[in-house]
Amino acid sequence: MEDFSVIGKSMPLMDGVEKVTGEGIYGVDAQLPGMIHGRILRSPYAHAKILKIDTSEAEKFPGVYAVVSAKDMPDRRVGVSLKDEYIFAKEKVRYVGEAVAAVAAVDIETADEALQAIEVEYQELKPVFDAQEAMRDGAPIVHEDLGRYEQSSYQIRFMRPVAGSNVASHIKVRTGDIAKGFQEAAVTLENSFRCHRIHHCYMEPHAVLVDYKKDKTTIWTNGQRTFDIAVLIAGLFNVPVSKVRVINTKVGGGFGGKITARLEPVAMALSKKSRKPVKIVLTRQEEFSTFGGQHSAVVKIKSGATKDGRLTAVEMETVWDAGAYTDGGISVASLAGGAGAPGPYRVANLKIDSYLVYTTKPNPTALRGMGMQQIAWAVESQMDILAEKLGIDPVEFRLKNAFEEGDRSATGEILDSVSVKECIAKVAEALEWGKGPNLPNRGKAICTWHKFSAPGTTSSAVVKVNGDGSVILLTGATEIGQGSNTVLAQIVAEELGISVDDISVTSGDTDATPFDHGTFSSRVTHHTGNAVRSAALDAKRQILEIAAQMLQPMEVTPQALELKDDRVFVKRNPEIGFPFAEVALSSRVLYGTPILAKGSFRGRGSHLLDPETGQSDKPAASEWVYMAQGAEVEVDRETGEIKIVKLVGAYDAGKAINPLSVKGQLLGGMMMGVGLSLFEEMVYEDGRMVNPTFMDYLIPTAQEAPPMEAIIVEKPHPAGPYGAKGIGETSIVLIAPAIGNAFHAATGVRINDLPLLPHKVLKALEEAQTKTG
Amino acid sequence: MPDAECEIRVNGKLCKVNIDPSTLLLDFLREKLGLTGPKRGCETGYCGCCTVLLDGKAIHSCSILALRAKEHEVLTIEGMESDGKLHPIQQAFLELNAAQCGYCSPGMIMSARALLDSNPAPTRSEVSRALAGNLCRCTGYLPIIDAVLHASQRTR
Repeated sequence: MEDFSVIGKSMPLMDGVEKVTGEGIYGVDAQLPGMIHGRILRSPYAHAKILKIDTSEAEKFPGVYAVVSAKDMPDRRVGVSLKDEYIFAKEKVRYVGEAVAAVAAVDIETADEALQAIEVEYQELKPVFDAQEAMRDGAPIVHEDLGRYEQSSYQIRFMRPVAGSNVASHIKVRTGDIAKGFQEAAVTLENSFRCHRIHHCYMEPHAVLVDYKKDKTTIWTNGQRTFDIAVLIAGLFNVPVSKVRVINTKVGGGFGGKITARLEPVAMALSKKSRKPVKIVLTRQEEFSTFGGQHSAVVKIKSGATKDGRLTAVEMETVWDAGAYTDGGISVASLAGGAGAPGPYRVANLKIDSYLVYTTKPNPTALRGMGMQQIAWAVESQMDILAEKLGIDPVEFRLKNAFEEGDRSATGEILDSVSVKECIAKVAEALEWGKGPNLPNRGKAICTWHKFSAPGTTSSAVVKVNGDGSVILLTGATEIGQGSNTVLAQIVAEELGISVDDISVTSGDTDATPFDHGTFSSRVTHHTGNAVRSAALDAKRQILEIAAQMLQPMEVTPQALELKDDRVFVKRNPEIGFPFAEVALSSRVLYGTPILAKGSFRGRGSHLLDPETGQSDKPAASEWVYMAQGAEVEVDRETGEIKIVKLVGAYDAGKAINPLSVKGQLLGGMMMGVGLSLFEEMVYEDGRMVNPTFMDYLIPTAQEAPPMEAIIVEKPHPAGPYGAKGIGETSIVLIAPAIGNAFHAATGVRINDLPLLPHKVLKALEEAQTKTG
Repeated sequence: MPDAECEIRVNGKLCKVNIDPSTLLLDFLREKLGLTGPKRGCETGYCGCCTVLLDGKAIHSCSILALRAKEHEVLTIEGMESDGKLHPIQQAFLELNAAQCGYCSPGMIMSARALLDSNPAPTRSEVSRALAGNLCRCTGYLPIIDAVLHASQRTR
């Protein structure tokens, strides 16, 4: 065991004081002199041709500085992976709420009034609201040009659109011989499960302030992928990236919902036209009805196992509702619906099809878990159903099939740092699995799963040492409340033997900080952490070289020196040395080599899997993180309420650099999972969300918080900094199947359609009674 | 309607201000006084990010007119520190990681303050009831409830 002084120690967030005092400047707080306000005109139709847009009246409106629509924008589509979307709808609208035009005015009220003066003539087209219907022959086509869309450079052509259909991508995984696999099975079961759409509900709405200037544009945003925004804006407005500076404000939560930049181009167009700084803040209603949420999915699964509980074959077909535009949906369809779909289990024969399908609804986007909760709901429910049929304890059944070190994943990757069994063991112990009296209407369940981090992403970092020995860390990763700045500072402190208090972190500024792919896919601790560690080691090397020069003529080599407790000293004679600050100052004033260090890191893997089989010689993910989740519930047969007695999860962080924030993230994810499982749902009628307020879309409050326990497992990852893995998204994934299976254990009843609302529970209980009665 | 002249005590300081009668208290605090600690998270008075104390009672400042505070006392998150020191609730939020993204924290802390001022030794369920009008998506609430209980022990 390595002896760390800072790594692995719980620390409050570095910017915690700003947060508890209200001093932090968030996106909604940003302002500039002369700033005006932007508002967006949105489509009232789910699917319609745009015949005419007349903005002339709005332009004359007193207090209005700019009106923009598609004609003011370059004829260029954008998209995270498939370029299928215009900033303002052109020719066609594809969902209720799609941006058609925007106004910038002296205040929000004036902008809203001016929006009313914009005349848009539509011709309604037949909509399609259900992804399975959209796959049928004769369904209205959402994108006529699908076959001609470009793919973005970063996600290098791994979309597999089916031209002439609504299938934006069809992902396939094939291993072994599926027919033979089912022949070997003693028991074969086929079921269908549905997971609905929930919203991120970050508490801070999207907020952006754009200050266009001919020489250089500055954008303040609460987006999660700072560098992407600069690239997007530069590409759209035909300027070099160096002429666009994007700076992160504090971010009031993201959970994936602030990855895709939709407001920045709108505010940019308005600012460019008005020549004034333009701010746009979405209302909560706009957040709900036009921005994000997760992909709903229908998962059909057929699985077979031998009598002694060995899985022989799994066949899956998942249909994801992509809404009108693919956005980040491809990673959901490919990594959750494809590479990771069978779960952390050895299955020799697989046939997996995952379809990302356009409908005329607002498109979902990346959401914590990235499709894994939808898939795990199906697979982990199925595992319990199979275990019951086989007469095997469901935990034993999972252990029998669980991945071990060196096993091959569904895409052929040889797995390392596998901890399924450790995680299950921890949860089984904490939940007292197999023990205790069986109380009426009570049930327990344990599930397991794995979560990927996106393959092949890059981070870099810069460490600067000031003359007083304090240190500035520059990172392009965005702090969105998860605590990344603190974790990254801990890494610097560890390597340089200084205190975290002496470090300051600047993050998410495309001019000031080095490149980073950004905050998504639980990637920052693992990827940016590695880059920061390597920058810190570079700084250390430079410091030791300076110190060795300072010690001349003693002829000490840098290798003979150590850096610890704010000192640089000779390892074999610790008395001889200097305070860290003295070396730092000397580097500047005596040697002319101020300490400026850098590091970078690229995660494992590639998105490019074989289109027919999903097989690859490269990992499908940069890391796989393992977990187990237990639930104990009590069912109220009168009200249909599922009461959570206890949630216990074990999550493999590899090495928890800051256990306090790791636990914080895990508990937050579990609670989000509770909302997903029991009551949250974005409800649509004719393509329009009918519950777009916190009055109608309920998220858990403090009163709904059940007893929850987050256990940190630490199986080091060979590529992680100190072994660290990313856990930010893990704990939402298994809550639904853990609750669903525990509900079944309590009642003998199963509901395949989330969320488990009281009226569904009552109906299912009643039906079961009728059947048996 | 013409602006109304009025006196409001905000964070202990008496302000003489002209208020447009249609201005909401939240907008008045944020835009007129530059107190941006209270946040807007919705338009329906449900998220609680805008919570401030009006004469010691926690209210959603987005849902009342600024004029309602005329000749009353408003306390916002900016008025929580004394002698440059964090209030014990703020200190506990910091230490127990009860603020992650921090957007709900100014409102959450004010609701906790109203509770502890009126009930210095609340039970766990009294705490969660008092905070039920403040939404948080990051923490899962347990660290927040723990922080309030911790602060109550420290202040007793």
